[in-house]
Amino acid sequence: MSSQRTARRLTRLLAMLPWVIANPGATVAEVCERFGYTPRQLTSDLNLVFVCGLPGYGPGDLMVAYVDEDEVVVEMADYFSSAVRLSAPEALTLLAAGMAVMSSGQAPAALTSGVDKLQRLLLPDAESALVVDLAEPELVGDLRRAATDGSVVHIVYTALGSGATTERDIESWTVFSTMGNWYVAAYCRLAGGERVFRIDRIQEAEPTGESFSPPAEPPPPVVRYSPGVDDVEATIRLSAAAKWISEYYPLEVLEEDGDTTVVQFSASDPKVVARLLVRLGGAADLIEGPEVAEALTGLRSRILARYES
Amino acid sequence: MQNVIERILNLLAFLLTVQRPVTADEIRMTVAGYDQSSDEAFRRMFERDKDLLRQLGIPLELRPMDAWEVEHGYVVPADEYALADPGLNDEERAALWLAAQVVRIGGQAAGPDALFKLGGAPVGGAVEPLAADLGAESDLLGDVFLAVSERRWVGFDYRTSRRKVAPYGLVHRRGHWYVVGPESADLNVIKAFRLDRAENLTLSDQPDQFVRPKEFRASDAIPQAPWEAGGEDLVAEVLFDADLAWWAQRQLTGRVEAKTDADGTLRASIPVANVEAFLAWMLSFDDRAEILGPPELREALLARVRGEAV
Repeated sequence: MSSQRTARRLTRLLAMLPWVIANPGATVAEVCERFGYTPRQLTSDLNLVFVCGLPGYGPGDLMVAYVDEDEVVVEMADYFSSAVRLSAPEALTLLAAGMAVMSSGQAPAALTSGVDKLQRLLLPDAESALVVDLAEPELVGDLRRAATDGSVVHIVYTALGSGATTERDIESWTVFSTMGNWYVAAYCRLAGGERVFRIDRIQEAEPTGESFSPPAEPPPPVVRYSPGVDDVEATIRLSAAAKWISEYYPLEVLEEDGDTTVVQFSASDPKVVARLLVRLGGAADLIEGPEVAEALTGLRSRILARYES
Repeated sequence: MQNVIERILNLLAFLLTVQRPVTADEIRMTVAGYDQSSDEAFRRMFERDKDLLRQLGIPLELRPMDAWEVEHGYVVPADEYALADPGLNDEERAALWLAAQVVRIGGQAAGPDALFKLGGAPVGGAVEPLAADLGAESDLLGDVFLAVSERRWVGFDYRTSRRKVAPYGLVHRRGHWYVVGPESADLNVIKAFRLDRAENLTLSDQPDQFVRPKEFRASDAIPQAPWEAGGEDLVAEVLFDADLAWWAQRQLTGRVEAKTDADGTLRASIPVANVEAFLAWMLSFDDRAEILGPPELREALLARVRGEAV
């Protein structure tokens, strides 16, 4: 028997009872919809309630719980007339979720007022103590609307690695924020496949006037690093000052010796690795990786040429 | 599972009704479901049930039975058990429910439990084509939020030292969570600490340990850009080439003075408090941006480009 499942079932039960007590006459369908029950699950929970109550456990001590015609009846259970308080993680998660959606623009009025009420309840003396700021780039709202409406958008996009600017038509599926940046997951008509674009790198976005039908189940919105055949690999030695990058990039630790770590780095674009190496200065050394070495030489000479001219 | 649920419902009904400390022995003799076991079996069963109650977020306290404090008993204080009603309407519940489904903290979406407690959610309406992941330091987050809401001190290891902070606020900005507040040594200086760098968090036992100033706004304490957070104080003069000027412009904050030349080149004076973060940002422009001054900043970038130790 899983205590997780028991806990979930009890949580729902202890939330359903107060609501039914406060809303006499509620129908089976209403209760099921509200608390995610199937009618069978609801009946089986009510049957448990029916045999529980106060010591004595006689007819006057047990709770009353049953379905009458289509109506859910709960009586003699006044001690369960309040729901259990929210735990701190529950309260935070819910508030933060509401605030995150609000900071992405276009929040419905009901969300704003709901968050407001929760905030007054949970942080009565400190309404500005919790802040969720997703720093929305200008085009998030437009691309989100395009996803809802199914309208094709023409974008001017500058790739992060190569710096190349391209124009393409995309079918916007989902906009999402992760690690502090906004992305749009889309079907790219130029590439003929699913692509993820960083929204702050989209210079312009204009609807083409065409429409598309969104996939029934769009892939989960995550920035996936999927190793590709064109990937380049590099072996890099990191000193203690540079070790933090292992938390930010998909890399494999080959050796650890005191303060020195040797890692294997895979990337679709050697320029990205080259920039990281320059940024880390003397704290990281390239041991092996011809493509990255070439990109590093190129980057160095381009910047030096510019600064020395 | 059925037996456990019945036993817990009986136990909770009893504790919520009597509202006085009751000993484990009294529970064993009074509450249905505990009566038929040996001492050892009862003890184990009761331990598991207490854990389950705590897992459900139910406040189960051990209090002295009398003034002599010889014996202790269990209480579930009704006022602490009960959720205060925030007065949500169904539209608000539905909107919160949708938000909870698209926002993940620590890689996980909020479960429905919180919404169930708030009166359930009339489901319906399409899920928005929107998602957000608010970082992964969720283990500490709940505790820090508790400390913020109950005004408890927090202690944690940060870089090389132990800090004691009055958590005035909690902020998520650009992918990171920060706890914001003064350290005990100087209550006048508000600082921001990244939670992913904090370890071994502890909370003070007592609530109401500090007063949050009325004018405090958590968002003011967190810099808008990574290079605005730090102890350094420089103003960088930077030139961005026309083809990437639009991208630079988007990332400049209100504290920056900038103008665009006739050929589209952007010239900006950027306050820098964290040189490391600033240089990282400059390098993301490849050779399409140039630090014109001050000389030490320009040299710091060039030292990195030459591969010299920094």
